[in-house]
Amino acid sequence: MKDIFQSTKVKVFLSVLLVLIMLAVFTRNVENNIISTTLNAFTFGLSKVSAAASADSSDNKSIDELKAENEALAQANRELRAKLVDYYNVKEENTRLWSFYGIKKEHEDYALIPAMVLRRDSNDEFGSFTIDKGTASDVNVGDPVIGESGLIGWISEADVYTAKVVTVLSPQTSIGAVDNATGDTGIVTGSAKYADDSCTTFTKLNSENKVEEGDIITSSGASGIYPKGMMLGEVKEIGYDTYDSSYYAVIEPYDDIKEILNVAVVSDFDGQGEILKKESGE
Amino acid sequence: MSDRSNSFFRYLSYVIELLLMFVLGTTPGLMPELFGAKPALLVCAALTVAVFEREIPAMIFGMLAGVLTDLGYSNSIGVFTISLTVICFIVGYAANNLIVAKFLNYLLYAAVAVGILFMLYFLVRFAIPGTEDRWQYFTAHIVSRMAQTFLYSIPFYFINRFIYSSLSPEE
Repeated sequence: MKDIFQSTKVKVFLSVLLVLIMLAVFTRNVENNIISTTLNAFTFGLSKVSAAASADSSDNKSIDELKAENEALAQANRELRAKLVDYYNVKEENTRLWSFYGIKKEHEDYALIPAMVLRRDSNDEFGSFTIDKGTASDVNVGDPVIGESGLIGWISEADVYTAKVVTVLSPQTSIGAVDNATGDTGIVTGSAKYADDSCTTFTKLNSENKVEEGDIITSSGASGIYPKGMMLGEVKEIGYDTYDSSYYAVIEPYDDIKEILNVAVVSDFDGQGEILKKESGE
Repeated sequence: MSDRSNSFFRYLSYVIELLLMFVLGTTPGLMPELFGAKPALLVCAALTVAVFEREIPAMIFGMLAGVLTDLGYSNSIGVFTISLTVICFIVGYAANNLIVAKFLNYLLYAAVAVGILFMLYFLVRFAIPGTEDRWQYFTAHIVSRMAQTFLYSIPFYFINRFIYSSLSPEE
């Protein structure tokens, strides 16, 4: 046993292990550290190639597939439009068809930074991904990330040229939200149970809530972290959590979060950080 | 070719293999999910390199695979870097000194290593932080990922055995 620890190989191994543990602590606690920046710069080119390849392959659909998809989208659009006429005003009628330009036109206060998905983490089942914009493009930790139809996540880590996005499917996400039809409020957070189906949950609903299937859930903007009124998805089903004795709704985001390739980061909007400033007494 | 140039080209082949697996594993929409998960290709490559190489090269390639795997998830060095470094060193040591890495023995190494690696990953990422529905996540994803990683490592074994035998130092 003593001989093993005197061997040069084991000494090298233990030294490397010690350095790795120190680096793990360092990179975990220091944002924008030189190690992650260097590694990301190194893999940036590789990821650009793979992102370009995936963008090309997404267009390889047959005419039948496109027709079926078009028909499904047209049907969904008809149903949604009918619902919106009944319950919401004209502005909300077109929200599902927003493009980034539409969002920008609608919210002049938004500073949008278009970005492309560079890579997806094969170890993460909550759809987290890396985008090709970082602090050099004014992307910061905590910034909301939107797809064409609404809020899809937030920036968890930002490097100089890349940034990690945690999606609304992740339990790490916590967004104050409101049911536009009934006014019920709650927290949108991910769940391992529903993330497989690309769904998230609208939790902490009170026992007298009137949330129904088909209701549209938007961000409440209460914390000043996310803009008010961003679409989060549509209620798919209602459930009861026996663990904390509260109701929750399963939300299906409009964007296909696990396949999305083009997103935009909202780097600035009216009211951003106001609550936090008030709480800190600034 | 001399022993040194053989070793150089062998190591270069491993590096290219790891980079290729990183690109394949992180390209959006390229690899289909099977039973809710994808195989960890970098783990397959690192383990099979470890059974043919000596301890220190095995450890270095394990570390490289771990760094690339962690990089896909966060900007920090984490559980995959440290655990793959340790596991590959141990596998390299065992394959050279204890149980020679014939194919059946390799299957044993791979099963134990993949099992330990993903159990550690589950522990650090889900069990210790107390993530809700963690057991559902374990049964729906981790088990499938373990099984796929184990199965995918079999072709890697033959690829890396070919590389090692073609470019190994002459006895």
